[in-house]
Amino acid sequence: MQTPLAFMLSSLNSTLSAILKSGDAYLDPGSGSFILQLLIASLVGAAFIIKTYWRRINTFFRQRFNKDQNEEEE
Amino acid sequence: MIKEENGLPSQPDGASFRDPCGYIFSFEGVLYRQINKRYKSQYEFLIESGLYDALIKKGYLIPHKEVDITPSDPTIAYKVIQPDPIFFISYPYEWCFSQLKDAALLTLEIQKLALEFGMTLKDSSAYNIQFHHARPILIDTLSFDNYHEGEPWIAYRQFCQHFLAPLALMAYRDVRLNQLLRVYIDGIPLDLASKQLPFRSRLRFPLLLHIHIHAASQKRYASQQVKTSRKMSKNELLGLIDSLESAVKGLKWSPHDTEWAEYYDDHNYSPEGLKHKSQLVSDFLDTVNPVSVWDLGANTGYFSRLSSARGTATISFDVDFGAVEQNYLSCRSQHEETLLPLYLDLTNPSPGIGWRNHERMSLIERGPTDAILALALIHHLAISNNVPLNNVATFLREICSWLVIEFIPKTDSQVQRLLASREDIFSNYTIEHFENDFSRVFKIHRKEKITESERFLYLMEGL
Repeated sequence: MQTPLAFMLSSLNSTLSAILKSGDAYLDPGSGSFILQLLIASLVGAAFIIKTYWRRINTFFRQRFNKDQNEEEE
Repeated sequence: MIKEENGLPSQPDGASFRDPCGYIFSFEGVLYRQINKRYKSQYEFLIESGLYDALIKKGYLIPHKEVDITPSDPTIAYKVIQPDPIFFISYPYEWCFSQLKDAALLTLEIQKLALEFGMTLKDSSAYNIQFHHARPILIDTLSFDNYHEGEPWIAYRQFCQHFLAPLALMAYRDVRLNQLLRVYIDGIPLDLASKQLPFRSRLRFPLLLHIHIHAASQKRYASQQVKTSRKMSKNELLGLIDSLESAVKGLKWSPHDTEWAEYYDDHNYSPEGLKHKSQLVSDFLDTVNPVSVWDLGANTGYFSRLSSARGTATISFDVDFGAVEQNYLSCRSQHEETLLPLYLDLTNPSPGIGWRNHERMSLIERGPTDAILALALIHHLAISNNVPLNNVATFLREICSWLVIEFIPKTDSQVQRLLASREDIFSNYTIEHFENDFSRVFKIHRKEKITESERFLYLMEGL
């Protein structure tokens, strides 16, 4: 039976292969770091956008809430 | 070409030969950085884009001024700049956990700021960071390149090897594993880090990605030519930096049960004795008024602070990571700008490493210092490490002009503790031999008995 790590690595391998298409520019042979970086970036990029928007929404409501509270106190 | 007074051309610094964009050289004792013509457009963009000012305002980059001196090599030179001096160059294998972590976080902050201004860090070497005024700072002004959307971060692998891998090993396995950086000058190989880290480190998603899968990917593509036209958007790049930041922030280490963590509660001084010793050290420092002090065996820096509080640039060296960690955290929280805590095993001090043994300087090459504090130290060198007293004297003379040293006699319980587990072959460990051996290379100016103890404090000047 495959361990979760082995499963993850084999999925990673298929995803990496999908990223690497034929007919594109050559990379250095020792370019595992480069390829992985592309994969990770596509994984975390979307999460980062959501995180950034969430922070903005959070800040907006917090400022709004504080403003309302200050007005009530006055 | 600039020539030193001895007629020899000014040579690039031993660590500054890889970057074709420029290099550090010294002339008449001052360090300069030559910027080569090939870096002209990047340098101009760094200044004109406002990135340089933003970095200086935040204290992230060492400030410099452009100077009108003949470059070291005029045929390829564009400009010469003079960076503000750093009082002591230290290396990542001399830093405690929090120092390496702060340096890592600074590197990521700089990369985020650079991207805002259309630039990117082209390398992320831990050696480009130094500690200046109690905080990390980037010293390589030529580390920036123009950012073109779609490009990945070229310094990603280096960041993982120089920062993430050693921090993870220190946090998960043993804090002493940062000493691997002394062997692997370009950072810890990720396959080695991955093998050494425990399985539970794989349960942390950023470490799983940036160390374990990264190592597997390096292995998988090590001997293959691969092709891709895949681009990385700026948001993806920011996501990558954010993920590295989470990985670093999630790593924690705190000193507990280390060798000297409780030393100040476990010494041989009465409150009066400690007060008297502090007073004597302060008096001696007032007499010498040194520009720089190295406190060897400083523990958490109690006596170092008698020097740094006077405004003297002081390095607080200790062999215990817990002590250095505590010292650094206190230094950082109190903004003690003239104090730098560092890890040092005095019985095996940092050697010259890297290309031609010149890339990173040995401890001795970074000296001498004006004055040394060697308090409660001599018995560790002479008895624990079997170094003859005359040899200790010669070494200390090599690295300082003034010496404040404490002699601890055999009858002292701290020495008895060291002798408990070994045969007493130290018949020459007496105050008479100590004074004789040290008098060969130092002149003894003062000798004071510390109140309510059997210990003596000396002020000596190099002959």
